[in-house]
Amino acid sequence: MGSTIGRRQVLAAGTAAGGLLALSGKAPAAGGTKPLKGVTLNISCWSAPYPLLLAKYIPEFEAETGARVIYTTPSFPIYNQRMGLALATRSDAYDVVNVTFIFIGQWIGAGWVLPLDSFIANPKLTPADWNAADFFPGTTTAFRNAAGQLCAIPWIADVMMGGAARYDLISKAGFAMPDNFSEMPKMLAAVNGKDGVPGFLTENHYGWTFPGYLQGFGANIFRNPPHDLMPVLDTPAAVEAAGFFSDLLRKFGPRGALSYTYDEVVAALKSGTVNYATENEAFVTQMAQPGSKVMRTCGFSLFPAGPAGRFPQVATHGWGIPAGSRNKDAAWQFITWAMSRKLLLRMFREHGWSSVTRRSIVELPEFRSKLTLNGFDVAKMYLDTVDLAAKGYMAYRTVPPYPEVDRQIDIAIQGIVSGEKTAQQAMAAAQRNSIVQLRRAGVKL
Amino acid sequence: MRSAPRRGWRRGITQGAAAALLLAVLAPVLWLVQMSFRPHGAALGADPVFVPTMANYRALAAGGFPASFANSLLASTGSTLLSLLFGVPAAYAMARHRFRARGRIAMWVLVTRMAPPVAFTIPFFLVFSDIGLIDTIPGLIIVYMTFNLALVIWTMRGFFAAVPTALEEAAWIDGAGVWSTFLRVTLPLAAPGVAATGILCFIMSWNDFFFALILTRTHAMTAPVAIVNFMQYAGWEWGKIAAAGVLVLLPVLVFTFFVRSYLVSGALAGGVKE
Repeated sequence: MGSTIGRRQVLAAGTAAGGLLALSGKAPAAGGTKPLKGVTLNISCWSAPYPLLLAKYIPEFEAETGARVIYTTPSFPIYNQRMGLALATRSDAYDVVNVTFIFIGQWIGAGWVLPLDSFIANPKLTPADWNAADFFPGTTTAFRNAAGQLCAIPWIADVMMGGAARYDLISKAGFAMPDNFSEMPKMLAAVNGKDGVPGFLTENHYGWTFPGYLQGFGANIFRNPPHDLMPVLDTPAAVEAAGFFSDLLRKFGPRGALSYTYDEVVAALKSGTVNYATENEAFVTQMAQPGSKVMRTCGFSLFPAGPAGRFPQVATHGWGIPAGSRNKDAAWQFITWAMSRKLLLRMFREHGWSSVTRRSIVELPEFRSKLTLNGFDVAKMYLDTVDLAAKGYMAYRTVPPYPEVDRQIDIAIQGIVSGEKTAQQAMAAAQRNSIVQLRRAGVKL
Repeated sequence: MRSAPRRGWRRGITQGAAAALLLAVLAPVLWLVQMSFRPHGAALGADPVFVPTMANYRALAAGGFPASFANSLLASTGSTLLSLLFGVPAAYAMARHRFRARGRIAMWVLVTRMAPPVAFTIPFFLVFSDIGLIDTIPGLIIVYMTFNLALVIWTMRGFFAAVPTALEEAAWIDGAGVWSTFLRVTLPLAAPGVAATGILCFIMSWNDFFFALILTRTHAMTAPVAIVNFMQYAGWEWGKIAAAGVLVLLPVLVFTFFVRSYLVSGALAGGVKE
């Protein structure tokens, strides 16, 4: 009688093999399995609309994968303080972190977060349709290390643009939204004080709101960032830019214009107590949302161009994997899920999240129509701005010692607007003090 | 001899100056209190007339602040009690017993206070990460004990030194042992010192921001860190910040009120040697 393999033996062998695979942790993912069962992922991002929105979807990720997610969203200063220490010590405390824009140079430059190219290229870890090339180059450029490797996946493009709370007053005075620096003062002079509304305002973080003007006049913060960090704040173009910007605040700003923080600027715009501002897209578009008093009168434009061109400031933040993480593959799985086209589209459709970084979503007709506010195609402005940032003019902001210079710019603009100093004196002082601070921070000039 | 009207005039000036000084010192606190009762959106207003509201306090109660407040209470009380439990006997031993290394040990205890807290942050963070004490109340209690113990030992050592040894010798003659003498004779006499030291320990733990910032996340987050969390991207929640600030002041005020007589006698003890 020849030996034959019966149905029962095949089933038994199959069960045993499956059991062995499962015990070794190598069981292939299949329908109904939980590939990350037993894995705990520690994930943190500073508190902003997108990460707060993402928290609503995380239970779905846990249910799909079996992972347990510990997700924290502290405020911006707390997040950066905690993360600086955790990353610097190569701690395994976090598996997925937000790579903060102003710390890109430090965190990526020091190798505290991992290059993601090998994850992206691995078909076992990245779905074929995930398409990393879909993210705007203007946002991914900042997250590349010296070797050109991508170290974070951008979740926001915070772009600066022009916004008017009372566009009705502007058009009544015979003007359109200003497209360049020469149109701005003319338009503001015509509408300033109309209906008791002051013309112009920006938040008092001038290290963020002023560089667009500085670069528009052909000046810059550093000589050639990130390679040559010698400040160039006292050039004739920089002085001219500082004088121009300060004049806008002094002549057309509300009383106490120097005291306005970003939330106060948003509140002033939404209540119609100030007319025009150059601010972040996420802030100015709040004018068109329900609850805003200027919902029907607001207008939008690209950040105005200067004599040297248009330099709207763009900040971006992205998800990265700390070098000390013990769950790198699982961390990447979370990032691919969080930044998948499918989820971002749901966030847009279900909650109106609009600062997306995937071109394929921004170009959708439904996105374009939803971001057409009072007849202004804000989606196009957003796309154009992000594309401009791909030129690399934001490099000054991703070098570790920038915060030192940022403070000097704040002081200089305050000095000019308050009348304590001329633009020449204030920018010369900013230049001197920046050099001192940078040398103190160990930068060789 | 000066006339009564002139004395009264001078007293009036002195009292007026004292009141002005008190007002200047308390102005930030009073401003914080009024701000906590201002309506939403008017927290930064300077208008002296407004309709007070409890909205900010209700918002705090509905959020995660009560848990952070409880964490602060647990960590501060726990570290204060444990620091006193270990530090007071240690201080007594160092005050009374003569042994060769006494001076060096006292100096080594003080060394723990000679560096800024930030110097200890990285070691604490790394060790706590490895042993699972990050974001736990026991972890915070241990950290707070490291700086409270030195304070207790050095402060209480002085208080015990001020208690006459003759009283302890009399207790020994009556048959009391070392512990019995310590607990029944010396410690009660040094009670004002224990109260004063306890308050200082509590306040130092209660006001800590830096260690709590680095070593906690959500479960053990303390009130000072929770307050900074109200500085959100969409805006700083000034009303909540003010209300939380007022609440954070309360335990220290209450604690100090109840033991103020001990605090005064504790502060004065040992000032005059007989």
